[in-house]
Amino acid sequence: MSSKYDLETIELPAKWKSLKPIFFAVGLILLAGGAFLSLFARGAEGSTDSAFKFFMHSYLANFMFVMTIALGALFFILIQFVSRAGWSTSIRRIAELIMTTIPFLALMFIPIIAILFANYNAPYEWNVPAEVHSSVVKAKIDIGYLTKEWFSIRAVSYFVLWIAMAFYFFGHSRKQDETGDIEHSLARQKWAGPCIMVFALSVSFAAFDWVMSIDADWFSTIFGVYVFAAGMMAFFATTILISMALQNAGKLQAFVNVEHFHDMGKFMFGFIMFWSYIAFSQLLLYWYGNIPEETFWYQVRLKDGWQYLAYALIPLHFAIPFLGTLSRHVRRHRLGLTFWAAWAIAVHWLDMTFLVMPNAGAPSLVPILGHLLGGLGMLFVFLSFFLVRASNVPLVPMKDPRLPEALTYANPLL
Amino acid sequence: MASITSSYNPREIDNTEDMPGRRAPLITGNQTYTSVTDMVCRVAEDPQPRLWWILFGMASLTASMFLMLIGFLIYKGVGIWGNSSPVFWAWPIVNFVFWVGIGHAGTLISAILFLFRQNWRTSINRAAEAMTIFAVICAGIYPGIHVGRAWLAFWLLPYPSLNLWMWPQFRSPLLWDVFAVGTYASTSLVFWYMGMIPDLATYRDRSKTPLRRFIYGLLCLGWTGSSRHWLVYEKAYTLLAALAAPLVLSVHTVVSFDFAVSQLPGWHTTIFPPYFVAGAIFSGFAMVVTLLVPMRAIYKLENLITLRHLDNMNKIILATGSLVGLAYGTEFFMAWYSQNQYESFTFINRAFGPYWWAYWIMVTCNVISPQLFWFKWMRTNVVAMWVVSIFVNIGMWFERFVITVTSLSRDFLPSSWGYYRPTLFDGLMFFGSFGVFMTLFLLFCRYLPTIAISEVKGVMSLSDHASHLEAEVLAELQGKEPKHVGHAH
Amino acid sequence: MNNNDHNVKSNKEPRPPKACGWMAEFENEHDLLHAAEKVRDAGYTKTDAFTPFPVHGIDHALGIKPTILPFIVLCAGLTGLCTALLMQWWMNGVDYKYIISGKPFGITPASIPVSFELTILFSAFTSVLGMLALNGLPRFSNPVFTNAKFDRATNDRFFLYVDATDKYYNRESVKELLSSVHANSLDEVMEDSTPSELPRSILLGALLIVLAGLIPAAIVLNMRASFSDLPRWHVFFDMDFQPKKKPQQTTTIFKDGRTMRPQVPGTISRGQLDQQDPFYLGYDPMKVTSIDTEKQIYVSTVDSVANLSALGSVAQPPAGTPAAGAAPVLPFLEKLPIEANEENIKLGKAKYEIYCSACHGYSGYGDGLVSKRAASLAQDTWTPPSSLHLDRIQKQPVGQIFHTISKGQGKMASYASSITPKERWSIVLYVRALQRSRNANIDDVPVDQRGSLTDPVPSQTK
Repeated sequence: MSSKYDLETIELPAKWKSLKPIFFAVGLILLAGGAFLSLFARGAEGSTDSAFKFFMHSYLANFMFVMTIALGALFFILIQFVSRAGWSTSIRRIAELIMTTIPFLALMFIPIIAILFANYNAPYEWNVPAEVHSSVVKAKIDIGYLTKEWFSIRAVSYFVLWIAMAFYFFGHSRKQDETGDIEHSLARQKWAGPCIMVFALSVSFAAFDWVMSIDADWFSTIFGVYVFAAGMMAFFATTILISMALQNAGKLQAFVNVEHFHDMGKFMFGFIMFWSYIAFSQLLLYWYGNIPEETFWYQVRLKDGWQYLAYALIPLHFAIPFLGTLSRHVRRHRLGLTFWAAWAIAVHWLDMTFLVMPNAGAPSLVPILGHLLGGLGMLFVFLSFFLVRASNVPLVPMKDPRLPEALTYANPLL
Repeated sequence: MASITSSYNPREIDNTEDMPGRRAPLITGNQTYTSVTDMVCRVAEDPQPRLWWILFGMASLTASMFLMLIGFLIYKGVGIWGNSSPVFWAWPIVNFVFWVGIGHAGTLISAILFLFRQNWRTSINRAAEAMTIFAVICAGIYPGIHVGRAWLAFWLLPYPSLNLWMWPQFRSPLLWDVFAVGTYASTSLVFWYMGMIPDLATYRDRSKTPLRRFIYGLLCLGWTGSSRHWLVYEKAYTLLAALAAPLVLSVHTVVSFDFAVSQLPGWHTTIFPPYFVAGAIFSGFAMVVTLLVPMRAIYKLENLITLRHLDNMNKIILATGSLVGLAYGTEFFMAWYSQNQYESFTFINRAFGPYWWAYWIMVTCNVISPQLFWFKWMRTNVVAMWVVSIFVNIGMWFERFVITVTSLSRDFLPSSWGYYRPTLFDGLMFFGSFGVFMTLFLLFCRYLPTIAISEVKGVMSLSDHASHLEAEVLAELQGKEPKHVGHAH
Repeated sequence: MNNNDHNVKSNKEPRPPKACGWMAEFENEHDLLHAAEKVRDAGYTKTDAFTPFPVHGIDHALGIKPTILPFIVLCAGLTGLCTALLMQWWMNGVDYKYIISGKPFGITPASIPVSFELTILFSAFTSVLGMLALNGLPRFSNPVFTNAKFDRATNDRFFLYVDATDKYYNRESVKELLSSVHANSLDEVMEDSTPSELPRSILLGALLIVLAGLIPAAIVLNMRASFSDLPRWHVFFDMDFQPKKKPQQTTTIFKDGRTMRPQVPGTISRGQLDQQDPFYLGYDPMKVTSIDTEKQIYVSTVDSVANLSALGSVAQPPAGTPAAGAAPVLPFLEKLPIEANEENIKLGKAKYEIYCSACHGYSGYGDGLVSKRAASLAQDTWTPPSSLHLDRIQKQPVGQIFHTISKGQGKMASYASSITPKERWSIVLYVRALQRSRNANIDDVPVDQRGSLTDPVPSQTK
């Protein structure tokens, strides 16, 4: 019986496997090139201090760019089991593989910790208390929250929690590949709820620690939700692009169909709106309240050339992709959806740049090019991690009891 | 036909266990299209049980009291309430937000769960939507009578005033509220009504008397069930769902703006919009559980509103309750982290100040009591869940009370601090609004289709079809062994 | 309305009902789909299925085209968005601007919520109304209702209908086709023979209700457009006649009988520098407390309170009210709080000549034109203004002269409302200059300029 559910189609293309070291090398070269442009090619107008500051911010922004995607994948897996979803089973493995790059990404976070312990005040100004002028930031250091030791302990615990959750879920998924035992689904369903709580807390605090504390004077309770929303949008875009690429390489033909793309497109559309909602809520409340302790964060982002980025995000991250993916015909169209997914990843990078970079000072062309190269480099490194994960693993959980549902459902409406 | 409906044994019918790969039935008791129609229509066709009359009598008396109190309020002025410096936004806004929050479940169930293809919504969406509309009516009364000169409440609308030639202030969040709640009320109403059209046609076609047939015939606009009509109808329903989903989020977001655009510590915080929305969904679902548990028992609808439906709703209560708890925690953390003395003071004052009791009632009811729903026994025991849902309702009222009163009574200037005390009228009018709510809900049960008959049937048909297809695919998949399974360790 | 609704007798001659098409009844949706495909394949397009719920796949089976409703709704949504933005821009940015908490006019982030809501409102109502319009609803008279079996179309039966207006329609062949698809039953649908127009009584009733509904509006309009001599109704009596006291009324609550309460001694009003700053007072109020009240001079820290007390409060008769005419001894400024430069002297001269010279004279001898004429007319009753060159006045501290201008002295009125504090100080400066120049000796003139004094100033000789 020649079934269309061919096992050949659920492994990574052989060519892709050989791409691992190439992607990794290309990524590192791009990162190094970016670092060179940021640090050394700055020319006469910047001191080395500010060049270093710019570079560290750039590294953090690019790190958050891929980290949020991996966290989006983790959340996606958890929510699938909380909601007992069936439709996503055939694309779930791709999300699982993205999620399991978190340990590698933890390694990418080491430079940031190292810089803290080397007593540099970039990207985190609070790291050198002697040079802190703001009394509020001093108070935050004094209460013991913004200190390198505590920061590192918290960062390590976030990673431990995420890696534990990711591998618990991935482990059960792989075991189910062998046995097809329904218990593996039940175990994941049982733990998905508590894990979501842990995830919500840890991501919120990671966003406060890693991104919000760059501007240690500032605070916003919604900030964790903002970073989460941005990451979810980018995660769906990434999954769409990876699935498209795999199908173009002749894989997953029977497993991922237009309905899955349609649904992922809907989610991407939904998170474009959700991001806009959260970003607008924060902006409106701070704009309206007009309290200096709160508005300066926007002020920094609305000068020195960053204002072009800030204003551009409104059409680029909201209006244009919103209208672009509004129609179901676009979401069901391969080329259309690919375009908008790529767009979403690009604006996600802009968004992370918007969150982090303005605190590094005024931009100039060469360091910005360095930042861009760094972003591309990080993306390549991230993809190489994904390929490492995907190399020896089937791309579809073949024995998942919900797989038939995923292969037969249809989007009747919308 | 009728024999199917009366045999309900909860031990026998446990569809709450949704095993992976085998979807549990959404409705129990081997229902057919005919029996579903019978079961729902009987609610309106049979004489109402005695309990209905007792409840209706009590509710309508309470509602009449409420209306009389409104009359007295308009005559005498808002001074009969306890609102006084520094707490001018006391119970009226608390009750307004409480009711608007409850009014979020219905449209959420019909719209957002629809978009997420949660087919279990079909048994509960109608009653939840009705509840939504009645809750929004109760909510709308409060700002209406709080404006002082209630007969001039239409000044809120942007109409060309020939005497004054002035326009409303569009930069005010209270005006956004007028638009948001107005849009929500009217959109929910048409959504509810449009959803009812096919079921009203069912009522029409089963009518025994010409008058009944005439009225339901008028209400259903001559619906025939034509496939050409269904096609446009479903498209319109889907569009409405897609429009109502962000609308639901926007309404409580705008309500949260009422507080959050100010500079008052405890109000001015960016988490307010999503946190208010989570709280609204939380309270709304609790109220749905509070109403549906007795309703399904009184009208013997246990086979349609099954334990699974209640289980799912309780899970949403658990999730949103935990989200609300997370928001409380984030606010507390941020008050400490910001090292802002006013923020810190506000939150310490909430928990340990003069209103500590309200704060701890709120935390107990909103954060701790839904945690009981981690246990399946709690989620599937009707009495237990009913009690918890009541606790949640109480807790969510206290949440609004805590936010409104603690922040206002202790603001920046200690010389203007005060302690707010409600009057008897505050209490009676809040109680009275429940009378309006229950009266409307009981009338709804009496005269309108309480369950979306056509949608339940549609889901029955669809799940038949799906299980058929899935069986085929499963047969095709079986016997396949993934290649790499061997070296996965 | 269908035939059960009303049994109104029609005047028209009954005629045999026309056949509209064939209708087949099915037990379940699968049979229906199967039959629909057959009918579609036979080429019929004026077909329809009637089902209790939306049967999926029926649009394909019957060949029904997708609806354009989403496009209409999109247009409505954009209309709503534009309406909201234009409305807010025009109402708050153009036609009726007013500042609220420093927010800009026109379109701001604060315009977004209302714009969003109106977008949704327009779209949502267009969805529903568009659905009704595209479906031709409400339509109360429909041939399918003539068959009692059809009542189950909203319950548990599925119907397939082929209309007689189809271009391939042939009564017999359609009947044959539908007989071959395992239908429960097959019926010919007859035209609805009941009268299609509404009975006159209902129309009349509706008209009466509408007219009655217009009465209140008509009364309101009439009242708005006409005048009446009758006093207005007081519906809310306690709002129209509030139990409250107005400023100048008396009361029995307080001993002094005044409704308006004096300020508590020691009150410092915010933003009223003129009661605290020596620049506005001419003396330093902070030093006033050091004055011994035993000396029969009552001066509060704040001038205004002293004045209030001087009015004779019944509640608190001031023991140390100053004797009439005796100026309170105040710690007047000895030094000018403004710079003695040319600009200020010029300002002082200008103001002096406007306000002071009429009585005090241009040179300050108290020989102004008003004074001269008054003296000639009123003779002894006129109190001549003091010469500014009296020894007494020359010795006064500058603050006292300022105080005199501000508060008046004897017959001289207060000029505080006409001359700003800075101008008053400039006048003081000018008066000092006058005094100096009128009482100078040759030693005051710089040595190198003494020679020019031998020639008298030309104006003085004339």
